[in-house]
Amino acid sequence: MLKVTDLAVKRGSRVTLESITLSLPAGETLAVVGESGAGKSTLIAAILGLLKPAEGEITWNGKPARAARPALVMQEPRAAFNPALNLRRSVMEPIVAQGVALAAGRLERLCAGLEMPLDLLDRRPDQVSIGQAQRAGILRALIAAPPLVLFDEPLSALDAVTQKHTARLISELQAEEGFAALIVTHDLGYAVAHGDQIMVLKAGRVEETADANTFALTPQSPYCRTLRDAAISLGALEAAA
Amino acid sequence: MTLSVSGLSAVRSGRTILHPTSLEIPLQIRIGLVGSSGSGKSTLGHALIDDLRAQGHTVAHVPQSPDEALDPLRSMAFHWREAETALGLPPGSADQAGLFGALKIEGGDLSKRPWGWSRGMQQRFVIAMALIGNPDLIVLDEPTSALDPVVAAATMELLSAFLTGKDTAMILITHDLGLAARRVERLMVMDAGRLVETGRTEDILERPKTRAANALSTHRNWMVLPC
Ligand SMILES: Nc1ncnc2c1ncn2[C@@H]1O[C@H](COP(=O)(O)OP(=O)(O)OP(=O)(O)O)[C@@H](O)[C@H]1O
Ligand SMILES: Nc1ncnc2c1ncn2[C@@H]1O[C@H](COP(=O)(O)OP(=O)(O)OP(=O)(O)O)[C@@H](O)[C@H]1O
Ligand SMILES: [Mg+2]
Ligand SMILES: [Mg+2]
Repeated sequence: MLKVTDLAVKRGSRVTLESITLSLPAGETLAVVGESGAGKSTLIAAILGLLKPAEGEITWNGKPARAARPALVMQEPRAAFNPALNLRRSVMEPIVAQGVALAAGRLERLCAGLEMPLDLLDRRPDQVSIGQAQRAGILRALIAAPPLVLFDEPLSALDAVTQKHTARLISELQAEEGFAALIVTHDLGYAVAHGDQIMVLKAGRVEETADANTFALTPQSPYCRTLRDAAISLGALEAAA
Repeated sequence: MTLSVSGLSAVRSGRTILHPTSLEIPLQIRIGLVGSSGSGKSTLGHALIDDLRAQGHTVAHVPQSPDEALDPLRSMAFHWREAETALGLPPGSADQAGLFGALKIEGGDLSKRPWGWSRGMQQRFVIAMALIGNPDLIVLDEPTSALDPVVAAATMELLSAFLTGKDTAMILITHDLGLAARRVERLMVMDAGRLVETGRTEDILERPKTRAANALSTHRNWMVLPC
């Protein structure tokens, strides 16, 4: 179980996160939504131990969260890879680093679920499209069956069909392997469909946390209303509206 | 005046990733370039921009990743000055406050380098730089991919306001057909390095002819909001 208690994080003199408390049991998904600049990636960096909390603590089963070796899917797909190495080397890196064995057929299965031909892995990150690099990032995060996975906008560069297949693969694997997933997304439809809990961040604070069903059934949720209006004006909700 | 390019193509490591493509782009047109991930949208965007610039046209570009437009070692203020200088404008003459306000990035610290800004803020900064001038064409590659719907809507409003009354043509590369549907009059659909279907937006949404257009149009509304 991931536990964050009264977390505050400062960047320079600015407080970017304040009073963040959450718990995420193994096997469950917490979807983190909120405006651009709200502090979602900062929360992930803090859980990874890349930023030191100014206050509060972050633990995994009672130990510092770093001990769980959380896997990360970075928001910027190409930046996640060493530009000099082919994707296969980078994708296999968690397996090599942790000295674990790769189950037979696992790579093939994950690639199929992500709609990635295996030979794509023989290329360097600048030789694939950004959406392909994003899926390679998901592949690397999941390859060594980690207990905790942090996804920062994992579907942002994918078309609707590939998004659905990728989301399905992540859920299937989670059901089998029981990892805890923290998924940052600005797609509320995805958050509600795949999250057990939803946390809304605003300007560095938790605006609301609810289980996904309650969130979906509570039209008063102010963030939800704002988003709905925006989605309608964007055209994303045309059919439903 | 019409912008025209012919025989654009791209081969990488012996693979043809863009088959010969010719395009006519009339003034003021708004075109959506759609297709599955890896179909060649960014490749066509780059080839088109290079060709038009070589012909002497001005083209503004918002690349898919802010990393392509921002030097990690330079401050945001430096990038802004460079963008002005490139257009022959005196420093400080562009309406930075207006653009930043519309894009909701007033709070960004310009003395910081790109990595001191969140991804969505970087993306909007790059959009602001592209909206300084008066180009013949603006190409935006997934301009709202890092933005939440609220900010994405504001960004698309700003873009429409920018285009109104100008001759500037726009190509909007996006995987979000819902977003494109209302904002472009024509769609071009790519599949495996080829433009497989082009036509009026309504026609392609309602009567897609190719497998690629059909898949995109069927799965258009991924976002089903619970409220
Ligand atoms: N390296 C940094 N140094 C200082 N401030 C930073 C740094 N990175 C981000 N910030 C600031 O911290 C705040 C939160 O940024 P963060 O990247 O966590 O936002 P986010 O919610 O992930 O946004 P987005 O949806 O745009 O990715 C922003 O105001 C941002 O400008
Ligand atoms: N150097 C290269 N060698 C081989 N193939 C390449 C190279 N660069 C790009 N490709 C391939 O060309 C195709 C088109 O890439 P492009 O980036 O144009 O796609 P895209 O439609 O923009 O995808 P996305 O939506 O994921 O951004 C992809 O299948 C990619 O793997
Ligand atoms: Mg972020
Ligand atoms: Mg692309």
